[in-house]
Amino acid sequence: MIPAPDDGWMRLSPRKLLLDPVKAVGQAIVPVVVALVGISQSDMRFWPIIVPVAILGPVVLGALPWLTTHYRLTESQIQVRSGILNKNTSTAPLDRVRSVDLEASLLHRVLGVQKVQVGTGVDDDRITLDALAASDAQALRTTLLGRRAAAAPPSAVRAGAGDGDGDEAARQATDHAEGYAAPAPGVPAQPFPPAPAALLAAIDWSWLRFAPFSLGRLVLLAGAVGVFSQFADDLPIWNEETATSAWAWITQFAIVAVVVVLAVGGLGLWLVVSVVGYVLQWWGFRLVREHGNLHLTSGLVTTRSITVEEAKVRGVEMTEPVLMRLVGGAELSTLATGVEDGVTQVLPPCPREVAVGVGGAVLEQPGPLTRTLVRHGPKAHRRAWFRQLRNALDLVVVLAVAWWWFDLTWWWLAAIAVGLLALAAAVGEASYRHLGHALGEQHLVAGSGTLARVRTVLETDGIIGWVVTQSWWQRRIGLADLTATTAAGAEKVVVCDVRLDVAVALADAATPGLLTDFVPEPATA
Amino acid sequence: MSVEGEAPIGAGAVLRAPEHRVSPRAIPFWRVSALIGDVVLVVVALVAWLVVPGAPGWVGLVVLALAAGSVAHVVLMPRIRYRVHRWEVTDTAVHTRSGWIGRESRVAPISRVQTVDSRQGALMRLFGLASITVTTASAAGPITVDCVDAETAREVVARLTAITAATEDDAT
Repeated sequence: MIPAPDDGWMRLSPRKLLLDPVKAVGQAIVPVVVALVGISQSDMRFWPIIVPVAILGPVVLGALPWLTTHYRLTESQIQVRSGILNKNTSTAPLDRVRSVDLEASLLHRVLGVQKVQVGTGVDDDRITLDALAASDAQALRTTLLGRRAAAAPPSAVRAGAGDGDGDEAARQATDHAEGYAAPAPGVPAQPFPPAPAALLAAIDWSWLRFAPFSLGRLVLLAGAVGVFSQFADDLPIWNEETATSAWAWITQFAIVAVVVVLAVGGLGLWLVVSVVGYVLQWWGFRLVREHGNLHLTSGLVTTRSITVEEAKVRGVEMTEPVLMRLVGGAELSTLATGVEDGVTQVLPPCPREVAVGVGGAVLEQPGPLTRTLVRHGPKAHRRAWFRQLRNALDLVVVLAVAWWWFDLTWWWLAAIAVGLLALAAAVGEASYRHLGHALGEQHLVAGSGTLARVRTVLETDGIIGWVVTQSWWQRRIGLADLTATTAAGAEKVVVCDVRLDVAVALADAATPGLLTDFVPEPATA
Repeated sequence: MSVEGEAPIGAGAVLRAPEHRVSPRAIPFWRVSALIGDVVLVVVALVAWLVVPGAPGWVGLVVLALAAGSVAHVVLMPRIRYRVHRWEVTDTAVHTRSGWIGRESRVAPISRVQTVDSRQGALMRLFGLASITVTTASAAGPITVDCVDAETAREVVARLTAITAATEDDAT
């Protein structure tokens, strides 16, 4: 448990003494081994020096952070001190704490510790405590978030704090309607009794069917194949003779069989990798709403616990990657301000209805994720096509130069060019279909994406400026890109290739008053 | 999913140009800075063409085209830019328009402004110019008023600072 706040600085969990050296050894092992191999081939003299350095180095480097890092919780701040030569002190006012995330890798879990990251909203730096004993980490999280909840939403206060303190906090909370800029109320930092949490989503293993259609992990697989091929080079089968004879055999008899086997093998491998990855990442997934926070926990080996303050959520983004579209799947992220990375994925690949439902719950409005978008018209349609066709043409020109240089058969080039252009047309059509915008009562909705269908919903309250850009080509045909700037998520939401007058009217309607001075005529046709 | 041609809201709406032009001295400033950049580029290309032995003749044509393009850039760009660039600060918003081939209009409410900077490079000082940059909490949102005269810049910065100091929340 976290002791009551006093002047005493506390160390991280002593188990860090094991954690860091093991991690350091893990990181150092490859260079050390490489160095050792290199040296052993040349000279044996340095062994007596190198072995102790190689072993002691990581241990000392790993132990130093534990010796030099201290943290404490005062009445109003959390403070962390670290560093040997450069003393580094990070502090955060407790009433500014926006998020407390817990993470535990396999190693952390074996040692029973967790990494704690405290986000404070205003700047992007987060206070990291790596690592605390799991119970201390949980207690710290409850203390920090409970304390903040006591300062802000009265509902959470009613649900939680005791008599005198609760009244005090509630009074203060009403005094400061905004709540957050207020000084810390006189509630002692005590673990907040758990309030009833509303479950928004939990893992449903039928969602596993979406795993193979989510290509995010393809990169990992490619990496694994790359590593394997490194070793495969050294296998004895790869001498020239066997290779040539094998190739001859393949081309004569079995090219179809080989292709089929490779394809089936690749698909099978992908199936295993994607499903295993999904299970590892989303095991025990739960998304709950408590104390005015969205709290996500998941993970089989590495466990994560992520908290996003709802008051800071300015919108959501639903992505339907092209393959997932085929099977009706989608992913959902929240766009929040003042989080290190404003885009937080809050749902695993799951059925579209679930994403829409949870998105509606987060936005507290069901409409924006399902309403029909206003399309951008034939000019935008043409532009979407031309953009893709031009990209394809660029590629074809490059290929043509290469063909001319290497003096290859033109038939192949023609076939590739036709294929590329057809693909470009398809992609262009798709990207136009994804394009669109809508304005709800409190939300700006933008549709985008070339292959994936992306729908971004941003609270109009979260819009802190507008940018209208027109390239030379867009000016010719009266289109523009409208960018709503915001502090949340990727910090902007772009409505592409919309008619200039529609863009201006949209911006004017989304933020009433802001553009009144600059839009002379009332916006009617 | 979507509907085609649903009556678009407010057909015919126009974002009017901001009120003020930038300083007329911006024209020679832009011209000189473009000239410096272009001369360096053309000279490097020319030297490369002359020094590399056996460079084919058409490379010379490329260098020539580059030089012609640079002349057009130096002559035309500052005039067009002067016609396009405009700015305005009202009590509620900052509004700018910029660009020379493309167009970019930016609007930010003053209530969301976080910092106000003014910047004056060595060359700008020579022409008595300064730029003002207003940032909001969004990385996509900074607004720059390029090349107003230094005196105006000082006034605008003072005014903006006074207004923003009066607003209290964290502007996100």
